[in-house]
Amino acid sequence: MKLSISGVGKNFGAVRALDRVDLDIAPGEFVTLIGPSGCGKSTLFNMLAGLLEPDAGGSILLDGKAGALLGRTAFMPQRDLLLPWRNVLDNALLPCEIEGLPRASSRARAEKMAVDFGLRGFEKHYPQQLSGGMRQRVALMRTFMFERDLMLLDEPFGALDALTRSMMQRWLLDIWERYRRTILFITHDIDEAIFLADRVVVMSTRPGRIKLDRPIELPRPRDAHLLTAPEFTAIKRELLDAVEEESLKSFSA
Amino acid sequence: MSRGVVLRGLLGAALLIGGWELCVWAFSLPQWILPPPSGILATTWSARAALLPAAAMTAYEALSGYAIGAALGIALAMILALATPLRALLLPMVVAVNSVPVAAYAPLALLWFGTGALSKIIMVAFIVGFTVFLNALDGLTRVDPAAVSLLRSFGAGRLRVLWVLRLPSALPAIATGLRISTVRAMIVTLVTEMLGSQLGLGWTIFQAVLLIDFLQVWAAILVASIISLVFFGVVSAIERRVVFWR
Repeated sequence: MKLSISGVGKNFGAVRALDRVDLDIAPGEFVTLIGPSGCGKSTLFNMLAGLLEPDAGGSILLDGKAGALLGRTAFMPQRDLLLPWRNVLDNALLPCEIEGLPRASSRARAEKMAVDFGLRGFEKHYPQQLSGGMRQRVALMRTFMFERDLMLLDEPFGALDALTRSMMQRWLLDIWERYRRTILFITHDIDEAIFLADRVVVMSTRPGRIKLDRPIELPRPRDAHLLTAPEFTAIKRELLDAVEEESLKSFSA
Repeated sequence: MSRGVVLRGLLGAALLIGGWELCVWAFSLPQWILPPPSGILATTWSARAALLPAAAMTAYEALSGYAIGAALGIALAMILALATPLRALLLPMVVAVNSVPVAAYAPLALLWFGTGALSKIIMVAFIVGFTVFLNALDGLTRVDPAAVSLLRSFGAGRLRVLWVLRLPSALPAIATGLRISTVRAMIVTLVTEMLGSQLGLGWTIFQAVLLIDFLQVWAAILVASIISLVFFGVVSAIERRVVFWR
């Protein structure tokens, strides 16, 4: 699904959170979004998910068409928000249930998907019995079960320890190549942003704008060694400079 | 509950009753101050023909009022959880009415609904309804806004959010309200019975006091305590099953 954002801004009272954001994402593309905290990344996501209206003048088009966005993109918030009274499978089935899809076929689909998500044998477990990495995989699976071409992932690995996180990143790339969805991914971690993306988009400090749009032409499939490759480091330096500049601005403001 | 907890509980009760018995004999306390547990048990057994119908009436009143109050409380909380403006309008009044001790309304209930079971059932339904309502409303409205957003992003409407998210999240709070209400239901039944009735443990206690029959008073208290404990125990056991994720 092609996403085009143009001139999208948002004011909260007197505070200008987002300032004329323009961004195009091609079908099947993996784009990561980084920027200092409070730069309006989550505001942008909420608008893309249809939870928040952009201010007049901006437009968000899916495949060239405007219209209500609620229920048209698969949104995954920062916290896993798994429901403790539902087991793994029933948590993943939540969006299908809300959509009113036939239960038997959704269930069969979820059981198959659970294998890819490393949740086989845990279908009947409850969230509180799972590790952080597993909970995040359940939340991701729930997002994939909501079959939308555009997926919005808001720092899905932010709360994980470094080792689990790098494993989850490689695993996500694997899943992405298998399911081929368009992904927009927020992160605070520059390594993560480069490692995953076709393009890294850097946002400015508030009011948020697109400061830098950097294509990442590193070959795929990517593995852990990439993180120490010279071409990776060169990109990282460039992005660090951009992010640092913005962070300093928000710090002194 | 583990067996150790049960055993320790029983041991504690045995110690208390033993100590009580011992004190009564050691200080040769007169019966109207404190009768010995053995005497209370003996009286309970010999007066069983009168105590049993009274206990049945009290249990009937408490349970019916409890069931009605709980159902109304939860239903009203669900309605007000959906209707935000109505909630803002009604809630202060509900809290105000609830803050007056229930016993104060008991004479009115007797006046309006007579000295039969109805006045007790209504009084119990009233107090249980308020307790459950306030707990349920708190649980229903205190959900994670991020979870509501997530469900909305999947296309869920207000009713769906209530059913899938709010109600299950509120279950622990509702269960707490239901558990507290068991004891309150018994208290209100007994107090209202004392103020006017023809049958019931509260009435038995009141009459026995007039007749200066303190063993009978204690026997009725014993039976009421057993009903109360069983009621509380059953509701707590159900709570642990239903709210398993806590």
